[in-house]
Amino acid sequence: MRYVTVLSCIVLSIAGAGCSWLDDRPAPYTSAPFTAQAHSGSPRLTTARDTLGAAVNDFFWVKSTPKQPIEFPHNTHVEKGLACTEYCHEAVTKGPQAGLPSVNTCLICHAAIATDRPRIQQITQMSEKGIDLSWQRVYGFAPAAHVRFNHAPHIRANVECATCHGDIAHQTVAQRNVDHNMGFCVTCHREKHAPNDCLTCHY
Amino acid sequence: MAHRWGMAVDLDRCTGCEACVTACRAENNIPTVGDLQASRGRAIHWIRVERYFEGEFPDVKVNYRPVMCQQCDAAPCEPVCPTYASHHNDEGLNAQVYNRCIGTRYCANACPYNVRFFDFFNPVWEKPMHLQLNPDVSLREVGVMEKCTFCVQRIAAGKDAAAADKREVKDGDIKPACVQGCPSKALVFGDLNDPESEVSRLAESPRGTKLLEDLGTAPKVTYLQGVEHA
Repeated sequence: MRYVTVLSCIVLSIAGAGCSWLDDRPAPYTSAPFTAQAHSGSPRLTTARDTLGAAVNDFFWVKSTPKQPIEFPHNTHVEKGLACTEYCHEAVTKGPQAGLPSVNTCLICHAAIATDRPRIQQITQMSEKGIDLSWQRVYGFAPAAHVRFNHAPHIRANVECATCHGDIAHQTVAQRNVDHNMGFCVTCHREKHAPNDCLTCHY
Repeated sequence: MAHRWGMAVDLDRCTGCEACVTACRAENNIPTVGDLQASRGRAIHWIRVERYFEGEFPDVKVNYRPVMCQQCDAAPCEPVCPTYASHHNDEGLNAQVYNRCIGTRYCANACPYNVRFFDFFNPVWEKPMHLQLNPDVSLREVGVMEKCTFCVQRIAAGKDAAAADKREVKDGDIKPACVQGCPSKALVFGDLNDPESEVSRLAESPRGTKLLEDLGTAPKVTYLQGVEHA
């Protein structure tokens, strides 16, 4: 059914564009030069999606898989007893962002530990050259969601990392284990009697 | 007890410098629309300074009145919204939820204070202006209404900081951008449910009036103005 809907939408929009020569209305007004760029109409496909591809992906619930600069083994580090918030995501207790570790954070331990591994030697070289790791975000909200999430209150309320991030302790590269939709947030907020007003998250 | 946020504006202190307007624009990522669209009434300004002249030239006195969303307790914008995008929250804030808004503009037409604005365009900041955007405030896309939020992001941050210190929010902890930016301290923000707060004291002042009080909107912004004895 969805395929049929999308196909017919595409066919209709192509047909609509082809009939534009039938439109004898005057051309849309173009404003003064310095404002022209700002108001020459929306550059986006819709208010929520920039391109048709993004809209189709959203419709079919297809999400991009982030490509990380190195294959970081979460499981090894958790097995060795390192807590998520200890060094790597330590900003999580202080503010909105959990933070992603810089290459120098890796070297706090790896200046001495496991220095014979090729991946560690790779990051040591990066640090010497002054290059940092370009981590890609795994989770995050689209701008159109208008969500302002703050990690710190959740940590204070003793919400486990795994509640929202799944079983990362047994994974190597972080995967998107949990779907962060509004139902997921609201259910937990209801159970824990946390504020459930729209303005708690959306502003 | 739940908070009930309110504001007091001392018109005898206001010099009409528009620092509040500038601070608000910077804080809340308010887009500019250009001169032509502004002339069509499409400019967005969550707070404005109204200017009134008294007397004949050359004996002219100018009065200024900063007007922002009055966060009415009986807000006319709320019952007209078909999607509950405009609603009242527990802290007395007249909330605008952009996700829910479908842009009927009923609320703007219902508002007697003209403080609700429709986004006719997607926000665009020419480089390098995009670098000054506040990450704590979302960018409103074309087709939704927006208005003064009493800097809800600062209220959230203030409550979060207090919770981190395991204490209650103190009077003066939270300051919206306009209050912080006011050089003559004409604007005061605080909790109306806290009888000790400065805004509660000013709200009780005999100099205080509410804007268009007769409409029964029960605004939470008090305007203070001394009566001049001729």
